[in-house]
Amino acid sequence: MHPAIRVVLLTLIGLFFLFPIVWVFLMSFQTNETILRIPPSLVFEPTLQNYTALISGRLETGAGVLELAFMQNLWNSFVLSFCSVALSLLLGVPAAYAFARFKFFGSEDIAFTLLSFRFAPALLVLLPLNLYFQDIGLNDTYIGLIWVYQLITLPLILWIVRGYFEDISPDIENAYRVDGHSWFSTFMKISIPLALPGIAAAALLSFIFAWNNFVFALILASADKQPVTVGALAFVTASGIQYGQIAAAVVLSILPTLALALYAQRYLVEGLSLGAVKG
Amino acid sequence: MYEKAKDAVDACMRKGMSRRELGRRLGALGLTAASANVLWGTASTRALAADFDWMKHKGKTVTLLLNKHPYTDAMIADIQAFKDLTGMEVKYDVFPEDVYFDKVTAALSSRSSQYDAFMTGAYQTWQYGPAGWLVDTNEFLQDESMTAPGFNWDDVLPNLRQSTAWSGVPGEALGGEGAKQWALPWGFELNSIAYNKKMLDGAGGEPPKDMDGLMELAAKMQKDVQGVYGIGVRGSRSWATIHPGFLSAYTNFDQRDFTMEDGKLKAAMATPESKAFHQQWVKMIQDSGPKNWSTYTWYQVGTDLGAGASAMIYDADILGYFMNGGDNKEAGNLAYTAFAPNPKAKGPTPNVWIWSLAMNSFGEQQDAAWYFMQWACGAEHALFGATKMDFVNPVRQSVWDDETFQKKISDNYPGYLDQYKASAPGSKIYFTPQPLFFNLTTEWAASLQKMVAKEVPVDEGLDQLAASVDNQLKQAGLG
Repeated sequence: MHPAIRVVLLTLIGLFFLFPIVWVFLMSFQTNETILRIPPSLVFEPTLQNYTALISGRLETGAGVLELAFMQNLWNSFVLSFCSVALSLLLGVPAAYAFARFKFFGSEDIAFTLLSFRFAPALLVLLPLNLYFQDIGLNDTYIGLIWVYQLITLPLILWIVRGYFEDISPDIENAYRVDGHSWFSTFMKISIPLALPGIAAAALLSFIFAWNNFVFALILASADKQPVTVGALAFVTASGIQYGQIAAAVVLSILPTLALALYAQRYLVEGLSLGAVKG
Repeated sequence: MYEKAKDAVDACMRKGMSRRELGRRLGALGLTAASANVLWGTASTRALAADFDWMKHKGKTVTLLLNKHPYTDAMIADIQAFKDLTGMEVKYDVFPEDVYFDKVTAALSSRSSQYDAFMTGAYQTWQYGPAGWLVDTNEFLQDESMTAPGFNWDDVLPNLRQSTAWSGVPGEALGGEGAKQWALPWGFELNSIAYNKKMLDGAGGEPPKDMDGLMELAAKMQKDVQGVYGIGVRGSRSWATIHPGFLSAYTNFDQRDFTMEDGKLKAAMATPESKAFHQQWVKMIQDSGPKNWSTYTWYQVGTDLGAGASAMIYDADILGYFMNGGDNKEAGNLAYTAFAPNPKAKGPTPNVWIWSLAMNSFGEQQDAAWYFMQWACGAEHALFGATKMDFVNPVRQSVWDDETFQKKISDNYPGYLDQYKASAPGSKIYFTPQPLFFNLTTEWAASLQKMVAKEVPVDEGLDQLAASVDNQLKQAGLG
């Protein structure tokens, strides 16, 4: 194919897929009035008022002052996602190794049970959980939420990393153990470094899934612990929709995962593809 | 000077002076509006505290679950008055409307005591009340030791009091004998026409008088004004599509959702009159509705009117109110008119949505919660919200009669008071209360979508709908 045609085609495909994000990005620098112009236009006078309002927590509108808790929502999303993934890595990586290397009674059943957490409709789990959490005092706490977020992050990490451990030849570990090293030392110094791309990919994916979760905090926590996915809806009120703030909120909430994804992109592709096929 | 100002406010409180007169006097004393508000608040507190032990629950904290709404904003702006009056603390969780009822249902169904009181709609009480999740507030309303003498329950519009009370027996009339008062009305909306006056004047259109007139005007505006569609109504696959303009018009033609025969409910949507009305409604949307009508909710209907994309809406009057202010392009250009689609009807019959306050039956401090509820639903707070904030529509007659409120509305919202006065007598909930309300009404909306999309002829669609509804009622033991 002629290089020029290829560039044109790639540009068209890129525009097609990126258009919604570009449009949201442009909206985030406009007022509601310019966003709702008929017909819509790409020419406008950019304003930072949406970002200023989100960061300062106060939005002055013609209808009055709107108090915003968006930065708190963003912080909540970060705390919940980061801590949940960290805990899942701590629990899931050794478990994945065990499932990959050792055959013990009920191992497949346990692994499948953990995976089945992903199948259950969230509300079905959350309503009874809400009752238990009230009894044991975990309702409306970060610890309780991080625990529940394990339903999202743990199975993902466990199953992706398990596949990756299975892909590493046990001979390398055996050679290290023949030199007199302990099982734990082998795990830490040989298995984990070799599986690192897979672990990074699994961590990134589960971070994104945790970040996008909506319903867990909604049901189990009060307004001050809600993530961005719930917080962004605060701009949709009975007296009107603040499209500019929604767009700015979307841009701000994409940034952390986008930065992580760009940083870990090579791990993501390498990790997923290497863990997928057993040699 | 402070004493003079205080005396003036106290006199007003004792109804010895109109609020307009009060404003003039305070202005003469050199007081700013903000200082006058503070004085008004403290005077309200003194007046309320005069004949009731509001401090009985001093030191307690009530926790509320609230929806992000102008009513909530008004309440939060005035919350210090409640704290001063009672010595109580108030904590509140405010959730966006899109997820609000999920949160309420989850909290109640898991028997959580976290929230003492919460906002609800009347329709939701048909599910929450009989399930045992709500306290029947009659037990407080009828207890003189618990309810302040100045609460004046009779001041709350009678149709709204009845619409928030139900016996729990499917099909029995709201507010009938043995009805439990599941919630206290707080703020409400009725359904009428809000239109872009500038646009109508430009095109030589007049506000519609009946259904035929509405259809003609909508078609004319769509034809005459470039880039504008004639009429905005909701169309998403939700019960919320049926309850505003649609049910208000449907009722005006003497049509009901169900009939009761031998204590059993039966679908009433397939009568010849109902079919004729549905034909008109469907044609109106096909000819002059928004292109993406089947996705339209409150937000799209309102936004289009505010942005000048539609010539008029047949929806909540307060939606038109909100769109006439704020940053909306058409702010200041909107006007309102009451609407009786049936030329033979005595007057408009708007179905209503009532934001109400209800008490959690699992709450551990119900007496304290009641103190909050009677303050929040009281006349003083309603007047504050209606005159200083956007707490419309108030549920109390005394607020509608207030001169300051009337002036605020008539100065900024042309025709709003007149449409209210014409609509109010016939405004109430016209749905038949029954536990399958959300499912069956959503199915009605889905059916309407098919008719508008021409997937099924109107007559056939309604026959199918009635058969399906009857079947579900039978399965639930209701039909």
